[in-house]
Amino acid sequence: MNSVNSTLIIILFAVTIIHPQNQLDEQLTKAEALYRNEEYFNSITELKRLIFFDSSKRYSYTANELIGECYEKGAKFTDALNYFARAEIAATNTDEIYNCRINTVKINILRRTTGRALSLLNALDKEPRFNGKKEEINYWKGWAYIFSDEWDKASDQFRRISKQNELGRFCDSIDNQKYSVTEAKILSFFIPGAGQIYTGNYLSGILSLGWNILWGYTTITAFQANRIFDGIMVAEFLWLRFYNGSNQNAEKFAIDKNLEISNNALIYLQNVYKGEKP
Amino acid sequence: MKNILLPFLFLTLLQGISYSQDVNLYSKENRKQFADYLYCQKDYLRAVNEYEEVPGLAASDTIRFKIGLAYLKMGDYDSASVNFSQIGSNSFFYNDAQAEFFKSQFLSGNYGSLNTENGNYTSVKQLKSFAYLFDYEPLPSKEIFISPFEGNERGKLSDFYDRKTNPPYKSELTAALLSTIIPGLGKIYTKEYSDGIIAFLVTGLMGYIAYTDFKANHKFREWLFTGLTAFFYGGNIYGSAASAQIYNAQVNFRLSSDMKLFLEEKDYFVPDYEFCK
Repeated sequence: MNSVNSTLIIILFAVTIIHPQNQLDEQLTKAEALYRNEEYFNSITELKRLIFFDSSKRYSYTANELIGECYEKGAKFTDALNYFARAEIAATNTDEIYNCRINTVKINILRRTTGRALSLLNALDKEPRFNGKKEEINYWKGWAYIFSDEWDKASDQFRRISKQNELGRFCDSIDNQKYSVTEAKILSFFIPGAGQIYTGNYLSGILSLGWNILWGYTTITAFQANRIFDGIMVAEFLWLRFYNGSNQNAEKFAIDKNLEISNNALIYLQNVYKGEKP
Repeated sequence: MKNILLPFLFLTLLQGISYSQDVNLYSKENRKQFADYLYCQKDYLRAVNEYEEVPGLAASDTIRFKIGLAYLKMGDYDSASVNFSQIGSNSFFYNDAQAEFFKSQFLSGNYGSLNTENGNYTSVKQLKSFAYLFDYEPLPSKEIFISPFEGNERGKLSDFYDRKTNPPYKSELTAALLSTIIPGLGKIYTKEYSDGIIAFLVTGLMGYIAYTDFKANHKFREWLFTGLTAFFYGGNIYGSAASAQIYNAQVNFRLSSDMKLFLEEKDYFVPDYEFCK
């Protein structure tokens, strides 16, 4: 008789717990299906409904985290950060906390607030409870440096994971392709047009050199013929103008070329690289 | 055995019924509660969807009014106006709906709609006065204009009225004439002091060099600097007229931004509702 009583009481409790929970489970399943179908707006609605009716806060972490991901997919980064922060408050273990923080880092990388991403990653790096995540933290540091256009530092981070890391090698190759803006300016400082030639703009470099030779020659001959006023005017309004133009062009071409190289690298990473991306 | 089985069945049945009522996420009442929650979370688009998807819910004046407010907050002034205009004169929200309707019209730039017979509510009258300031219609007398306002607001509106009717513009012709007489004076008239002084010095310097070149019989340079003097002199006359235009545009801009700031501080004279307290 006692065993019958116990069984009945257990069933009674089971009904108490399982019945309402199933409703919320179904709600979560529905929201997840919408997320998989890329219906992010509807998925957020259903997840918010789940949060509203989940009086025990059992789904708080899962729902808030998934809302954050939906907002991230819709490029609503500020909303995504807000919901990852809520998920972190509701997190019940280290893995969940880590997941929220990494998602926050990814958002900061995507919206190019890479300084914030790096400071979050440094904070994670210092916490002993995340000692087992060092490789992953270095990986995301590498990505943060990629998005801040510091390919040498990105390579260092990836090489810490392994010497032959694929992204490390890629970052090195990009860093090698890039032009030194200072070198371009120094070249043009000594030989007008040389900076442009260094960045591959041969025609512009040769024209610049030609103009400088012409106005330099005119200036010098004017001074030699004691035509001081003409010499000053040609030097001031023609020679100096073309000389400065050459320096400015060298700097501009180097910056433009570097931007082109970086953008092509990011396009390659977006379309070809198969590993995890922000 | 029978003693325990009967209460057990009763309790199980009771729980089944009560839980199915408690956690039916899509019941009319629960959807309304969820929509209210979304509204208070400022997730207006989802709140509107939720209110409108539940059959019969939007028939309530309160819900219709909240839908209108949600559209207004989202900047969809046309949809807001449609919802506010559906609230009948016997509704508790009628006056507020009127005020919000005119606020929507005002924000969408439809100032003409404020000149209707319906605008007896104080906030509507106040918005109507402001519509005169933003519109190109002639203004009424100052007394009529400031009559819907009291206290400090009256003083502020009086100032706006004066700035609208007698804007402190600078004349383009005067600026140009002043610079014709003394280079740079037109710029000083339009309060561009540093520009005025520089224009005076540069034109004067070029003129002086041209004069000395003529005296020294430097054939090329005398005409070069005469040309430069004429260029700076003429350019300064044109620049002074342009400076007066820019000054006047700034006067208009300052008045417009001060009025918008005032309206935003006063929330367009509509009351604060307590839906989320």
